[in-house]
Amino acid sequence: MGRRLRPIFRRQDMQSERWTIGLALFFAGASTLTLFVWIPIDIETGVIETFRRRTTIGDAMAPTLAAAAIFVISVIMGAVAVLRARINSRSPEAGLDRQDYSFLLLTAVPLVLGLVLMVYVGSVAVEAINALGGEIGTYRELKAAFPYKYLGFLIGGFVMVFGTIRVVENKGTQSAAWVAALAVLALILLYDVPFDNLLLPPNGDF
Amino acid sequence: MVFFGFVLGVIVGATPGLGGPMAMAISLPILISIFGFEASALLPVLGFLVGIMKGSTIGGAVPAILFNTPGTPDSLMTTLDGYPMTQKGKAGKALRIAHFSSVSGDTFSDVVLIVAAPSLAILVEQFLDFPEKAALIILSLAFIASVVGANVWKGLLAAMLGMFFAYIGTGEDAYPRLSLDTDGLASGLPLVSVILGVLILGAIFQSLENMWREMQEKAVITKVEMSGDNRLHFSDIKSILPFIGLSASLGTMVGALPGIGSTLAATLGYASGKRIHRGDIKFGEGAPQGVAATEAANSSVAGANLIPVLSLGIPGNVSAVFIILAMESIGGFNPGPAVFRLMPDQINPEMVIAFGLFTAMIFANFLNWTLGGVFMRSMGIMIRVPKQRLLPVVLLLTVTSIYVQQTSMFAIYVTVFFGMIGYFMRKLDLSVLPFVIAFILANNLEEAMRQAFAVTGANPWFLFASPVSTGFMGLAVLVILFFSRHRSAV
Repeated sequence: MGRRLRPIFRRQDMQSERWTIGLALFFAGASTLTLFVWIPIDIETGVIETFRRRTTIGDAMAPTLAAAAIFVISVIMGAVAVLRARINSRSPEAGLDRQDYSFLLLTAVPLVLGLVLMVYVGSVAVEAINALGGEIGTYRELKAAFPYKYLGFLIGGFVMVFGTIRVVENKGTQSAAWVAALAVLALILLYDVPFDNLLLPPNGDF
Repeated sequence: MVFFGFVLGVIVGATPGLGGPMAMAISLPILISIFGFEASALLPVLGFLVGIMKGSTIGGAVPAILFNTPGTPDSLMTTLDGYPMTQKGKAGKALRIAHFSSVSGDTFSDVVLIVAAPSLAILVEQFLDFPEKAALIILSLAFIASVVGANVWKGLLAAMLGMFFAYIGTGEDAYPRLSLDTDGLASGLPLVSVILGVLILGAIFQSLENMWREMQEKAVITKVEMSGDNRLHFSDIKSILPFIGLSASLGTMVGALPGIGSTLAATLGYASGKRIHRGDIKFGEGAPQGVAATEAANSSVAGANLIPVLSLGIPGNVSAVFIILAMESIGGFNPGPAVFRLMPDQINPEMVIAFGLFTAMIFANFLNWTLGGVFMRSMGIMIRVPKQRLLPVVLLLTVTSIYVQQTSMFAIYVTVFFGMIGYFMRKLDLSVLPFVIAFILANNLEEAMRQAFAVTGANPWFLFASPVSTGFMGLAVLVILFFSRHRSAV
């Protein structure tokens, strides 16, 4: 009786290298799309350009080489991972677990909320004052005026720092709020008070 | 400026969770705001950054010795003998030995830099044309990608990704390539946003997550007590000198190679010291020679790492990345072989800046020798700074610094996006250093390739047009093959 051959792909083997294999598949796919879709439609010159009998390297050359290299490396990386998984199916591997996803979602809240507040609080406050009959002008006109120029940064920055501390410490304490408030004030003192030409976020965008 | 940078460097080096590169990243926009974008701003800015670099090399040993917590990753080996010395009541002696060894290694490395960088640059300038320069950049990238991290293919993938991102929104045509017809990408991804995102925000996200996971484990501040003679005598110096000499030489050699960091130097220095050690106290049980071997090795990387920066324009480690970033942001100095070009009847302004940088390094070393020890020994208090509160503040500080420099929320969004990329790269074992260095060098490589193609008369095999460039390309392949067979642990 002949010895039974081990199948090339066994699900339990692939588990140990699944992140590397997944990375390889992702980047092989992404680089193929880049090579055949993104580069042809989003670069105006070719890989090689000939103009008035002078041949030069076009804008497409470098990204094409980089994308092709990503494809080749991904294929080799994937193949090596598959082979390694067959040899040692229990080798430890880097990757993300459920706790990583939870952390990312939790941290995204203060980060995104902080940025949104930073961008909109100042302009919304000015519009609200105008709507209530204040007639103080637009935020664009007031972006260098106290206190409007600080509103977005103060509130957005506070939420970002306090919220992140709250996520890590798993509780919101008064001392954390003080740290956040002092940090925002210190940054205003560092960047805005001594320099007339510097703008705190988001004032340069208005 | 060197002094202020030096003080800041010692403080951040002694604060677990911070470090020289983070302080350099945050200081840069503030320095540019103060000094402006004129070429005259470059020296004070570089002086400050050099001060941070030097100060943080000695600061990192403080928490390692006093609290068994390395302030910087390369101080990990210092804990092996430094902390046992503290437990025996010899914390003062351990700190003095760490200081003496660190500064000796650093000074040795700087002397090598000052001698080697101009000589190497002159050689490169004389013998290397565009095809050879393009091949040299490819070789350097292949080397960095292969030696950093545990997997060569992941290192190469990281480098190629960095390179690809650098090509977005750039090019010679009127239409900025790969910009998806958007205004935000039309002028390319901001260099500062990408680098600070991947290096700083990515590291912050990862550290925050580690702390979030370890919430239950409460850190206990150990009370440090000293007993007996804690001074550093001539006999102590005599016993540690061979270890310093060996480690400084190893660290300098390692530092001169792009991509190999001070952590490997410290490991090599410690391992080599262990081999030659014949004392009563074994390595790992509180041997002063163990502290000396580690500290001399990791500190001697700093100066030598600037050899490839100044002579070839290739950054070798994170600190060098921020030195290049300062040079790129301010302008007036293009690191590379042309820096040391001698011009008849003219002064080369770039050479003046390079020697100004050397002077700043010598001055920082002087500060390290004279005030460093006192500063260092007073920094034990920094261990009390709660990391979980410090890092969110550093997050806001980084975001604000980016905005102040770029004046655009788009730059902040790019930074956060690349911060997430940096976080995922760390999680998936994709090294961030090859990514960042390839991002910096990508456009230089493309320019060298365009020029090489033109000067060789549109020869598609221009990378193999001369024996030197063929040799570099062959070496690049050999390096990849060698390291893909022998996993390195840097």
